[in-house]
Amino acid sequence: MSKYLDLSVEEINGLLKEKKIKPIDLVEEALERIENDKDLNAFITVDSEGARKRALELENEEVDNVLFGIPIAVKDNIVTKDLRTTCASHILDNFIPLYDATVVEKIKAKNMIIIGKTNMDEFAMGSTSQTSYFGAPHNPWDRKRVAGGSSGGSAACISARLVPFALGSDTGGSIRQPSSYCGIVGMKPTYGRVSRYGLVAFGSSLDQIGPMARNVYENALLLNILCGRDDRDLTSSHKKTEDFTRMIGEDIKGMKIAIPNFFVSDIVSPEVLSKLNEVVELLKDSGATVDYIDIDYIENAVTLYQIIAMGEASSNLARFDGVRYGYSIEDPVGIDELYSLTRGEGFGEEVKRRIMVGSYLLSGENAKIYYSKALQIRNAIRKSFLKAFEKYDLIIGPNATTTAYNLGEGLDDPLKTFLDDILVIPVNMAGLPGMNVPMGFGEGNLPIGLQIIGNSFDEATMYKLASFVERKLDLNNDPKEVK
Amino acid sequence: MKDKLTREEVLHVARLARINLTDEEIEKYQVQLKKLLDDVDKIKEVDLASDEELITPIDEETVLREDEAGEMLDPEEIMKNVPVSNGNFVEVPVMINE
Repeated sequence: MSKYLDLSVEEINGLLKEKKIKPIDLVEEALERIENDKDLNAFITVDSEGARKRALELENEEVDNVLFGIPIAVKDNIVTKDLRTTCASHILDNFIPLYDATVVEKIKAKNMIIIGKTNMDEFAMGSTSQTSYFGAPHNPWDRKRVAGGSSGGSAACISARLVPFALGSDTGGSIRQPSSYCGIVGMKPTYGRVSRYGLVAFGSSLDQIGPMARNVYENALLLNILCGRDDRDLTSSHKKTEDFTRMIGEDIKGMKIAIPNFFVSDIVSPEVLSKLNEVVELLKDSGATVDYIDIDYIENAVTLYQIIAMGEASSNLARFDGVRYGYSIEDPVGIDELYSLTRGEGFGEEVKRRIMVGSYLLSGENAKIYYSKALQIRNAIRKSFLKAFEKYDLIIGPNATTTAYNLGEGLDDPLKTFLDDILVIPVNMAGLPGMNVPMGFGEGNLPIGLQIIGNSFDEATMYKLASFVERKLDLNNDPKEVK
Repeated sequence: MKDKLTREEVLHVARLARINLTDEEIEKYQVQLKKLLDDVDKIKEVDLASDEELITPIDEETVLREDEAGEMLDPEEIMKNVPVSNGNFVEVPVMINE
């Protein structure tokens, strides 16, 4: 097997430009790697035919940008024209989208090659990808363990070096937490930075698409092409796109960094805390200041998430009714039976649980008691974060309280999946950008990730710190080489 | 405090959500939904200084697009995903009884 996909994308780009390799070589290598690592279950659909066809078409095109011809995996809740998009659900397992999501148009415009659709929690609801109708993806560092979720397939396929890039989505940590468990770099951009058009909606005021990659620089390269105003998503920002790599490599002397006390409380395991403390020492030694601060109501973020995300989900998932697309029961007696039997059979356990709770929380008087109150606390959390950013450049902490745990654990506990995301949910509540960069390994050689939170639309400064940490720690994040 | 919802309470929320449940599921959700709803109840105890709400975390004003006819999806293409159709019509069971 060739090893081109172990090279940096700039090295690959050089080979493509010099015509030493063709896009089809990269596609064949990626397909071979995916086949060899089939037991990871990272993909729901591998589009070998489409990827090969596109690679051959590209042989006649000029290599016009650094991402040209590079294979990329797309989370299966982002619609791809003529390529099955299931959201890891039985209710959509035969769904063929009629159009591309805006981010898919963008990666195609740069001549990247979509290799397939990655496994995930059903409708992105979960923290381990175990709610997938197609079975859970496995963690490349220890295949008995979860890859995290909900973008677990995207994280696993990058960690195992099947492809250099993937798209994920993050409603309550779904890019950052699996990135942490799998030892890769994942970025949830500022809410509004990337168009959500074509992302199957879960929690519309929280969802954001973001890049997942092997290292900080390549992650920033991908974000460069994803952002920008899109008139088909009215919440997308008019802010100009920028070069997110521009501060990578800069010194961090004088940088002001804060850590919320909640992020170092006893909810975090000792091995994760100890890695964080090592990073704090490194930052201080390098001329940054690190203070411990309080973010108001941050400890309530999980409860807010339960109310806001489940409420928005119950409304968003009302569209899956067996009428216009997707799974539908045969010969229903009356419209009510069509709806309720289709949804009863089509949705999995976690999704049904969340839709029911969401419907209940938004019904009648409850909307005021729960939903309005949650929005008030959400406002207070965002204000507190923004106040902190008047004084600090960045906020840091861990992304997950522990390393990846065993497959099958906690499946019957409806609260566990939310508590897994206790450190990543606050960022979605505030609409801020957050990312994961690997910061070391715990027991059993399992990755531990550093969370970096930036001010609104300040992803560039986050990449600056992330690249500094990456360079100083110089970890080997390839599970095959470390084992 | 009771440790699970009644069967009727679960059927009520399932009805709100238009989801049919098997007997086995009802029993499971009697416990699980109770656990979730108890957890969510914690929000009632939170004291706040302001009743200002945050519905979406964007600072920019959202302006509706112009109401102009644009390019639409091809009806024939749309029908390919429709479970039960008749020509360019989506077929559903009878909704109104005489």
